[in-house]
Amino acid sequence: MLTPLEIEAIRLSLEISGWAVLGGLPIAILLAWILARGRFVGRNLLDGIVHLPLVLPPVVVGYLLLVLLGRNGVIGAWLHDALGITLAFTFQGAAVASAVMALPLMVRAVRLSIESVDRGLEAAAATLGASRLSVFLTVTLPLSAPGLLAGAVLGFARSLGEFGATITFVSSIPGQTRTLPIAIYGLTQVPGGEAAAARLCAISIVLALAALLASEILARRLGRRLAGPHFA
Amino acid sequence: MRRIAARLPVAILAVLLVLAASVTRAETSVYAAASTTDAVNEIAAAFAAKKLGLIVPSYDSSSTLAKQIEHGAPAGVFLSADEQWMDYLEQKKLIAPGTRSDLLGNALVLIAPKASSAAAVQIGPGFPLAKMLGDGRLSVGDPAHVPAGIYAKAALDKLGLWDQVKDKLAAGQNVRAALNFVERGETPLGIVYATDAIASAKVWEVGIFPEDSHPPILYPVALVAGHETPEAHAFLEFLKGSEARAVFAKYGFRPVLTN
Amino acid sequence: MFGRSGAGKSSIIAAIAGLVKPDSGRVILDGHPLFDSAHGMNLPPWRRRVGVVFQDARLFPHMSVRTNLLYGLRRHRSGPGGAKTLTLDTVVEPLGIGALLERRPATLSGGEKQRVAIGRAVLANPRLLMMDEPLASLDGERKAELLPLLERLSRTFAIPIVYVSHAVDEVLRLADRLVLIDAGKTIAAGTVEEVANRPDFAQIAARDGGPETFSVISATIGGHDEAAFQTRLDFAGGSLTVPRIAGGPGERVRLRIAASEVMLALAPPTGLSVRNAIAARVVALDDVRGLIDVTLDAGVPLRARITRAARAELQLAPGMSIYALIKSAALTAH
Repeated sequence: MLTPLEIEAIRLSLEISGWAVLGGLPIAILLAWILARGRFVGRNLLDGIVHLPLVLPPVVVGYLLLVLLGRNGVIGAWLHDALGITLAFTFQGAAVASAVMALPLMVRAVRLSIESVDRGLEAAAATLGASRLSVFLTVTLPLSAPGLLAGAVLGFARSLGEFGATITFVSSIPGQTRTLPIAIYGLTQVPGGEAAAARLCAISIVLALAALLASEILARRLGRRLAGPHFA
Repeated sequence: MRRIAARLPVAILAVLLVLAASVTRAETSVYAAASTTDAVNEIAAAFAAKKLGLIVPSYDSSSTLAKQIEHGAPAGVFLSADEQWMDYLEQKKLIAPGTRSDLLGNALVLIAPKASSAAAVQIGPGFPLAKMLGDGRLSVGDPAHVPAGIYAKAALDKLGLWDQVKDKLAAGQNVRAALNFVERGETPLGIVYATDAIASAKVWEVGIFPEDSHPPILYPVALVAGHETPEAHAFLEFLKGSEARAVFAKYGFRPVLTN
Repeated sequence: MFGRSGAGKSSIIAAIAGLVKPDSGRVILDGHPLFDSAHGMNLPPWRRRVGVVFQDARLFPHMSVRTNLLYGLRRHRSGPGGAKTLTLDTVVEPLGIGALLERRPATLSGGEKQRVAIGRAVLANPRLLMMDEPLASLDGERKAELLPLLERLSRTFAIPIVYVSHAVDEVLRLADRLVLIDAGKTIAAGTVEEVANRPDFAQIAARDGGPETFSVISATIGGHDEAAFQTRLDFAGGSLTVPRIAGGPGERVRLRIAASEVMLALAPPTGLSVRNAIAARVVALDDVRGLIDVTLDAGVPLRARITRAARAELQLAPGMSIYALIKSAALTAH
């Protein structure tokens, strides 16, 4: 029922978005924790930098990624020479582009969740002998789990739709980076490709809705477990 | 008195909007293929300097521009990098009849970054393209829809090299994106127009594709149906005039035998 | 630590536990400095081994009672307090929380939560346990349940306890030593009898309601008269009869006697319902807003409050021998 092109685009989108969230969420959690609980000079600056991909045009972000992480980029050259890692024109590069674009959304969701954790509980944990890191891992993180989930789903949904930064950074490579949005774009540029593009659009919508539904169910289950049987 | 003062900002806004509308009516929007960016900018400036009118150009891949015109974009003049997309609009009756002509020609070249150690080659059937690429990729406009990419595929096909490199392509949204990849050294080689290679100081021409390896690269120009203002007509004639021809030649475009 | 709400007791607790960093000063426990602003020293809370039982229990909602209890145990270091072999059983029995182990904190009552909180704090093997108004959010019945437990707490687990409260009855019942706090300063510190008999103690206590002047006497249970529903309490100045209270012979109690409930008589009375007549000597007479505060020495300090007219009629003067009459029913034993 689905053409090979469509199957490949769906597979790539799901894989790339999955990796983007897997790799980006831990970083988002760390940044959210620093921004939520840290008191240091430059905190607002860090906050601003984290939000840049949200307010810059995606193509600009893609171009910046090229400058930094391309084969001749500031960091990319070292990555290639020292570690043999290439990000330009690769699946991994597409995941990085998606992760960068999704990061602000994930950080925001996680930060809100961390800030809503009762600091009295964290204080109690400290008096019981838990270091700051231990408090974070055993108290703060578990209690902000619903927010983490929301952040992950937001990040996943954003990655599914990522286009501008990806195509600028890694271009469109069949089998590696030709995700659903890029495939849809390509089809709309070809005369007579509208029908196929519409099909892929419908698939994208179904995927996004499925992700949102799954997150709703999981969030509710998590909420129930935390608050006990009295959770309404 | 206070009520008038409260209504004043709205009144000013309304006046500004009317003024803006009347101003935009005097502008002519020109949709031109990405490869003509620098040349058309210069020609538009000359047009404005001669007080013949205000030109607002938009550049992108011809496929993107054609689609936008199809969906009602307010372009007055369309300059496409291949016949296919002009045919596309003509079939949909979106071109003003009798205004189409071939304006420019171009050549297809193989480029490398300035700092590359590649040697100049004579491009012919079976030249060692795959070896020259090594483990790198070949930057092209997307062969599915970007004219420069379509020409590149045709040429590689004709020279028997398509199978070797079809899995090693880096397909950009338009030819300028492909050029950018080579300029930044992200890919060792790329296929772009001769005009793009001339325009960029960061790449050099490794070789030129023989004219018979691809369909002739022709840039048709026409007026968009429903937007045939006097200024648009004037700009179309200006584009065909000697001053514009000189500018195009400066940027490396080939002339077309006048039809 | 006793003082009214807002006096700074909770801030002191936070400073000792390391949850708050004072601008200047020192915190020294057992000779070990925990905080010293002059030397830039500030031990983080997780290294101080000072346990805290909070007013709102603060049990971790995402863990079972058992996991809550074990939280500190997993991290406890055998420090200068000597190696203690602590296990769950150490606290489960004495606190009576065996049935709660697999439950979630959200399903527990207030009293149950506090018991678990105490167990959790104890299992972290602290050198010092601080309790910040632990009974404040409980109703009378729950308080009555927990008070006996708290009385024995320090001895049961062999941990010194700093107990903070603004409730006089709790303090008088539980304390061995008393620190009076007002407006962030220590007003007095000493034994309960020393501090509780001070005038400013009664003043501070009175702001939460209660008698404005009272005396606190330490006594031991002499014996019970079941038929008469009475208990005899022996103290330094003799014996007092009170309505039957709980406790066995020899147990220590503290008595709070409101000054307004103490009558004075020149001779032991007959034909009166009052059961207690204590021989005493007048030490001082003070005119306080129209009433006379009489300070007596009955082997222990005792205060009475009478009218000016009564004083004049009895011709009271310092040095006089007198009898203090106290209704049994007016005595509050802690």
